[in-house]
Parts: sequence; structure tokens; C-alpha cells
Amino acid sequence: MSVLPLLEVDDLHVTFNTASGPVHAVDGVSFTMAPGASLGVVGESGSGKSVTARALLRLFAITDDVRVSGSVHFDGADLLRVDERRLRHVRGGQIGMIFQDPLTSLNPLMAVGEQIAESLRLHRGMGRAEAASEAVELLARVGIADPEKRATELPSSFSGGMRQRVMISLAIACRPRLLIADEPTTALDVTVQAEILLLLDELRRSEGMALMLITHDFGVVAATCEDVQVMYAGKLVEKASMTHLFDRANHPYTEGLLRLVPRFEDAHTGRLHPIPGQPPITGGGGSSCAFAPRCAHAFDRCHREIPPEVAVGPEHLSACWLAADRAKEGTEAGRPWRRTP
Amino acid sequence: MEMQTTTETTPPSQRPRRGGLRRWLRDLQGWVARLFGGESLRGLLLRRLRDGVIVLLLVVTVIFFLAHVVGNPALVFAPVDATDEHIAELHRQFGLDRPVAERYWEYLVGLAQLDFGESTWQQRPAIDAVKEALPSTIYLTVVGLGAAAVLGVVPGIVAGARARKPFDKTSNLLSVAALSVPNFWLGLLLILVLGVQLGWLPTSGRFETASIVMPALTLGIVHGGRIYQLVRSATFEEMSKPYVTVARSKGLTEWNILRRHVVRNTGVTTATIVGWEYVRMWGGAVFAIEYVFAWPGIGLLTIDAAHKHDFFVLQAAVIIAGAFVIFSNLLIDMGYQFIDRRIAAS
Repeated sequence: MSVLPLLEVDDLHVTFNTASGPVHAVDGVSFTMAPGASLGVVGESGSGKSVTARALLRLFAITDDVRVSGSVHFDGADLLRVDERRLRHVRGGQIGMIFQDPLTSLNPLMAVGEQIAESLRLHRGMGRAEAASEAVELLARVGIADPEKRATELPSSFSGGMRQRVMISLAIACRPRLLIADEPTTALDVTVQAEILLLLDELRRSEGMALMLITHDFGVVAATCEDVQVMYAGKLVEKASMTHLFDRANHPYTEGLLRLVPRFEDAHTGRLHPIPGQPPITGGGGSSCAFAPRCAHAFDRCHREIPPEVAVGPEHLSACWLAADRAKEGTEAGRPWRRTP
Repeated sequence: MEMQTTTETTPPSQRPRRGGLRRWLRDLQGWVARLFGGESLRGLLLRRLRDGVIVLLLVVTVIFFLAHVVGNPALVFAPVDATDEHIAELHRQFGLDRPVAERYWEYLVGLAQLDFGESTWQQRPAIDAVKEALPSTIYLTVVGLGAAAVLGVVPGIVAGARARKPFDKTSNLLSVAALSVPNFWLGLLLILVLGVQLGWLPTSGRFETASIVMPALTLGIVHGGRIYQLVRSATFEEMSKPYVTVARSKGLTEWNILRRHVVRNTGVTTATIVGWEYVRMWGGAVFAIEYVFAWPGIGLLTIDAAHKHDFFVLQAAVIIAGAFVIFSNLLIDMGYQFIDRRIAAS
């Protein structure tokens, strides 16, 4: 690639020290994002996708006993090593973040306009009045009707979808270069989901910012992202462009996930195909493929050695011992996703 | 069209229902609600006032029956070697030979006129002795509460915001020590160190401005420990809420998150905690502390009156202190409601 990457994550490890021992939530994750790119991160609950996002901005709870290693280069600086001051400048100013639950993500006792203005005053050095009027414009930008009046209201007078819009306007207030959306639609109705995804996509294109979308739903990624990476037990198991992945998913886990999505054509005959077993509670640290116990194709090597990432196509990586073979033969999962003429 | 809409949207409360008693109760409830303007602040105030009066009446009644029916006040005043005639004479003097109901009624009428009887020890109306002592106690409790608030609220917020850090651990240990130590013992310790050994502060009575320092400090430490615990956990809980993470993701400093978001949002809780602690103070510590420091307030008066068998002063002190607590409680409750509703309304 000729473009300098905006974000370069290299060998990121996140370990929580809990009462019942260390938990390797993220176990050696590496990826890059170009300016203006859109990347979907898909995985089950506990696969480490949210922790990865939080680690980028070092957003952990004060009580978390957490160890982070590796590097997160953003705009030339390693965010894991910069001082607090510089980090705060990046937070909200360079990287905006949207969270899963819009009902609890806003301060219940502060007018929404004020919560947006807070960011503007901090990062864009605006005065009180200027920030207030810019906040109103931002609310209008994300499709909130009567923004002047709404800006003075408390979050409690907004519906879930509207609150997520407020949250988005807050995250994009300072024109960040990267927007991280952590399950932004999980808590919302399906119709509202579509609206929010449309808004995110539209904002990404018009503002020229990169979007990292974390979700467990392939449908959400398909609607908004060009690239996708699948996480399992704290590791990246497959990386590809969206269309490529849907066409020729390589990793058995990805295959399983894609098969899980119920398809309309199968409505009367189809059955769901759950992946047997449970994901491991503490990811990583082992000396085998974490997915092996649940994998239908696993053989003895899978239980002995960790599979490396193998290139199976143009910008398509898969961490599986069978990756090369499967790439040659093709897998089942891709096919149903191809549009039949 | 309009007619139809109206009939369709008749509120359920206006639909006829079966059940005689239940309907009657609902009507009564509606009537009371209209009288007090529903759940308005005024309605709530009236309800709380009514409750306050009922509680006070209960206190007064219990005191009366303990003294006049279960015990025999005449025996308290009679000398040890009193003859039966002597005791009968005292009975007549106190009016104890008349029916209980009549005496109870007279007692209530007397109380309504703030007539608590004559002090046998001070040779003046019991109410005068209480009136003299009350301001001292109010002064002590208010200063003591101020000390408790300073000692409890500020460290509580800091510890809650920096949970499991050294400051939190240290202050937590200190606060547990503060609230588990007997208050009178703490008072005596302060007297020994600050009063006797260092000679910095007067040890007893209320003769100079500095006299307030030690008793108020003792109250402050004991009650500050509890305030600290509650404020710490309220702050910690608030800091764990997702909106704080969002505020952090906006790039706010920890100090600004605390100042602009957390402290503001826990403000009502903190005010309530401090208010309750004031009521608790009246319920206990202030009596022991006044005794230890010979502070001329209600507590000391009550204990002295008990020693001197002065039933009327004892009764007046308990009833007035009780009324004061009920009244403060009401004020705190209304203040809390007022703030809460303003927040809900805005």
C-alpha cells in the first residue's frame, strides 16, 4: 500500500489480573487501518474485540488490574506509551468512540447539548456560546429534529435510537480521524439499527474519517465495512475484504459464523447451524489452536501448535493449519452468500 | 369522529367497576389526592407533618404511661423512710389519685401549652431549663456536623474516585477505626492529648470560643467516618457508570470528570447522607459527648435530671429533643424531594 497507515496495531496483548488468575483477553493482535478505511471486527462475546478497542485509547475501569503490551501507532505516536496529556488530546480529538448502550452512555443529569459542547470547548478551544451553537448544528447533522430545543433537554427525554444519534454527534464533534463504534446498534431495534448504520456510513464518507466497527453481527459489517477481521479467543483468525470473505471464507470459525446467519431463502426449510461447544473463557496463553476443540476439521497438529496467519488470497489472511488446502478447494460457507442469478 | 375518539379514550379510572369497598377506598383516595393536590410537594409536606405529629404523640404517650402507670412518681420523690400517709399525701399533691384518662388528658393539654411541669431540682418550669440548654446543643451539633462533613465528604469523594489506590486503603482503615471506637472514649483521648498533655484546648464546659473545638471534633470524627463510607461508595458506584468512560473517551481529565460529572450527580445523595447523619447525632453521640466535655446542652441536662430524679426536666428534654429530631427529619426529607423534583422537572 502506498498510503501511510493511520492506525498500526502491532502484537497487542491485554491481560487482566483477576481474583481467579490472569485472563488474556487480547492475545497478539496486529492490524493496520488506512485513512478513511472502514474495518469491521467480528466475534462472539468474550472474543476480545471490545477490549481491543478500549486498549487503543487505554480506556479501562479504574479498578481494572490490567497489563497491556505491544504497540498502537496512531499518527506517528505509540498511544500505549504517550503521556496522559497527549493521550487526552487523542481521545475525543483524534479518535472518537461510540459505545454499546446509549441508555447509560450519557450523563443523565446534564443537557445533551452541554455534553457535546464539553468536547468542543476542550479540543477545539471554542467559547461557551460558540460551542453551544456548534452542538446544535451537530445534533441537526445526525438527524435530530428541532435541535435547538433538544440540545437543552436531558438524555431521559430521548429514545434509545435518538440517544445513539446524540452519542454519535458527540463522538464526531471534533472531526476525529478515526471513529471506533463498539456494538453501536446491539441495543437498538432493527429498523433503528439500519438508520444508525446508514448514518455512520454517510458520516464516514462525508467527513473522510476511518471507521472501526465492532460487532457480533455479520449483517452489520456487510452494510458498512469494506474490510473485516474475525476474532476468536483474543486472536485474529481471519482478515479479508468484506466481499472476499463472504465469497470464500477460509477459517472454519468464520465459516461457522456465516452459516449462523439465517437466510431468507431458507425460511421454510432451513435450520440454524450453531457452532458446537463454548468459546474458552480465558483466551490465549495456550499452545494449540483455540478453536480446535470446536472445529469439525481439527486434526492432531491443531491441538499441538498455534497456527500462523497464512496468506490465502490478495489481502486475505487466515490462521488455520488447513488454510492453504481450504483456499484451493473452497469452503461451503461462502457459496450460499453468493448472489444466485 | 371527535365523539368517537372521546369515548374510546375514556381513562380507566372513570369506567364503572365492581366492588363496593374497593371503589369506596378509591374514591376516598381520589378525594384526599385532590385535597392535597396529588403528589405535589405541598401534599407530601402535609402528609409528613401528619406523620410527624403522630410519632410525637406516640413518644409523649409512651413517656406518660412509663412514668404514671408503670412506675410511681411519688415513690421517686418520697424519702426512703416515708410512711404510707406521706406517700398518699404525695399522691394527692401530684394528682395521682385521679383516673388515668383524666390525668392523660390534662397532661396533653399541658404539653400543648408547653407546660412540662415544675422542675423539682431547679425550682423553675422544666421548659425553662430545656430552653436554656437547647441552643448549646444545636450549636454543638451544627459545628460537629460541619466537621463531620469536611472529614467525611472530601476524603470520601477522593477515595471513591481513586478506589483501591493507597489513599483509598489508608482512609478506609482510618474511617473504620473512627466509627468503631466508642465516642466517649475518643472524647477522653482527645482531652488527654490535646487538653492535658499539650494544653492547647480547654477540656470542659463552655466558657470560651475554643471550648467547642474538642467536642465538635469528636462528633466530627465519629460521624465523619460514616459519612466517608457512604460518600465513598456512592462516588465509586458513579465512577463505574458507562457515561464516565464516555467522558474519559472525550478526553476529559480525571479531575474534570469528577468535578463536572460525578460530584454533581452524587450531590443529592451526599446532601441526604449528611442530613441523616445530623439526625443520628441527636439520637446518640451528642449525649455522651456533652457528658464527657461537660457541655451545657440537652444531653448533659438529661443525664443530670436523671441523677437528680427530676422527672419533669427529663420528660421535657426528651420530648423537645424528639420533636427537634422529627422536625429536622422532615426538613431533610422535603429538601431532598425538592431537589429531586427539580432535577426530574428540568
